[in-house]
Amino acid sequence: MFDQLFDAALIDSIVRASIPILLAAIGGLICERAGVFQISLEGMMLLGAFTGVAVSYATGNAYLGVLAAMVAGALTSLLLAFGNVTRGGDPIVIGVAINLFAVGLTGFLLPQLFDVRGVFRDPAIAGLGQFSIPGLSELPIVGDALFRLTIPGYVAFLLVPLTWVLLFRTPTGLRLRGVGERRVAAQTLGVPVTGFQYSAVVVSGLLAGLAGAQLALGNVVQFAENMSAGRGWIAVVAVLLGRAHPFGVLGAGLLFGSAEALGFRLQGNGLAVQITDALPWVITLAALVIARKRFIRLNDLTAANT
Amino acid sequence: MPASERSLRTRVVDAAYSPITSSLVIAFVVVGVIILLSGSNPLSAYSEMWSGATSGSGPKTVVNRAVPIVGMALAISIPFRMGIINLGAEGQMVLGGLAAALTAIYMPGPGPLVIVTAFAAGSLTGIAWALLPALGQTKLRLPILITSLLLNVPAKALASYLVQYFFRDPSATSTATVPIPDNAHIPTPALLGEASLSSLLVVGVVVAVWLYNTRTVAGYESRVSGVNLRFSRYGGVDVDRQTIRSMVACGAIAGGVGAHLILGQAFRFVDNDLAGTGFAWTGLLVTLLAMHRAWPIMWAGVFFAALQVGGLAMQRSAGVSWQLAQVLQAMVILALALRIVLVKRRSAADEPEEPPGDRTLADSAATLTGAPTSHAPGANG
Repeated sequence: MFDQLFDAALIDSIVRASIPILLAAIGGLICERAGVFQISLEGMMLLGAFTGVAVSYATGNAYLGVLAAMVAGALTSLLLAFGNVTRGGDPIVIGVAINLFAVGLTGFLLPQLFDVRGVFRDPAIAGLGQFSIPGLSELPIVGDALFRLTIPGYVAFLLVPLTWVLLFRTPTGLRLRGVGERRVAAQTLGVPVTGFQYSAVVVSGLLAGLAGAQLALGNVVQFAENMSAGRGWIAVVAVLLGRAHPFGVLGAGLLFGSAEALGFRLQGNGLAVQITDALPWVITLAALVIARKRFIRLNDLTAANT
Repeated sequence: MPASERSLRTRVVDAAYSPITSSLVIAFVVVGVIILLSGSNPLSAYSEMWSGATSGSGPKTVVNRAVPIVGMALAISIPFRMGIINLGAEGQMVLGGLAAALTAIYMPGPGPLVIVTAFAAGSLTGIAWALLPALGQTKLRLPILITSLLLNVPAKALASYLVQYFFRDPSATSTATVPIPDNAHIPTPALLGEASLSSLLVVGVVVAVWLYNTRTVAGYESRVSGVNLRFSRYGGVDVDRQTIRSMVACGAIAGGVGAHLILGQAFRFVDNDLAGTGFAWTGLLVTLLAMHRAWPIMWAGVFFAALQVGGLAMQRSAGVSWQLAQVLQAMVILALALRIVLVKRRSAADEPEEPPGDRTLADSAATLTGAPTSHAPGANG
């Protein structure tokens, strides 16, 4: 049975399922490091998916779609930046409102613009192509999974080490973490706190929009109502579980990607669809329970600082 | 100055300055622009919404739709008031609905008794499901915000699994139980304009929550915890007990809403039907708009119900998707949370500037889970 479950195709689908979660979660972790609680990833991802499909359909160019998706995500993120950073509003309330706004707006625009309900599929929507890296993609088992990806796919995995370098090996990263950890101290040293926080939130918007584009133009080529299906929330948990560390978040993202991919696979093997639906969420909960000691220590540290 | 002594003029001026008024105006204007850009006429869409909610069977439909919305908002408001955000009310409602459906199907006896038992079964199931994240927070220090949300999909999957493999009506085209017997239907008395009898029950719950919030020690302590958790703990409040208590109350009401949706509306449990309503999310927005106060929740709930009923009417007549109502609802809360006010009061003393967002995931989680802070010795005495 395990031979059937774990093969190259499964690794391939794990990688694919992880990419959108990873992209959104990296944005979330940058916000977290900058001291902004970001839970609107889900809504920005959904708006990104919709915008990506709409622009790709209108122009026939998938990359214009990707660009538009990122712009949509960034514009939406400005709501959180303005509301939380400038106005001091509750980030949880703003985040929940953005998420519901996104579900409503995409659900409203879908029949309004494309005259369909539920799912918008059309040959005119250009999907993202996959690029093989010569040589590496011929590796056994992992070659196809890791080295034949869409551009957002490569971006997702390259961002992990890049974010690490940015956060822990550059002055900018040091200031960003300073803003998140000791806001007043950073301010005293002349770090533009508001600018850093706005930038972090906008970056998370760009990345969540990109995640949405990958979902709707890469993993599939269509838009379905509420197609982000909780991935943005999973990304929030990935930030928590990965303790806002790029490699920790990568691990959490791969874990949730595995749960999703395994769910699909088990469904193919005849397991009840309800069990496979619940699987990623139950695994997430289990991971939280197992890792709780770790992130509590982090909480204590942060609580002591404030 | 007591409210009754204020002149009408003061009240009107107050209302104009109220952030809620600003939010409503902003939401309708922004959504109007969205309608315009998407190629329809906002004025005719809004007027169709208005007439759909107010004429013909509109008011009755609004009341019936307000029942679950107000119910869910009340449920969510209880933990929210003490600073706990429960995003899992949906799962509590769905499982409560299933328990109520099964009770009504399998329990013999007179209708009223079956109805009462079904509500009890729904509430108990809701409580059981709400206790999972509550205990997760008090025993394992996992934030309810996250765990309650993560439990929604498993709840829906569990309900769906049970129906499909154990209680399925083989003659039904969709995954559903058999219909509940006629005598277990919640009556729709002519006296209420054929609105569901549950509307009275909901008003009863409004009164109960209002009394709890304003007239009991526990309700007062909840508010204190919501405003300042550390102060509350310093003052000797057992925050863990308070957490459990408020989540139990939330689960009981949410499960009861599930029971109402089965016995008063669907008359059988259809897979995905309850969750598809989005009542839990609407309820969350309603309690935010009402700032977790019981009576305002009722008015805000009726208002959002009217938006939805009007939206559905607009979809039928003007061909504009009803989801516009969802956009409007979210936009109202967004404008409120962004603290955009159209007319500013002259005296600046009213609105204290709070320090801009210092809340991060980690310390939100810390406050939510009540991570250890300095306990004062003997403060419990």
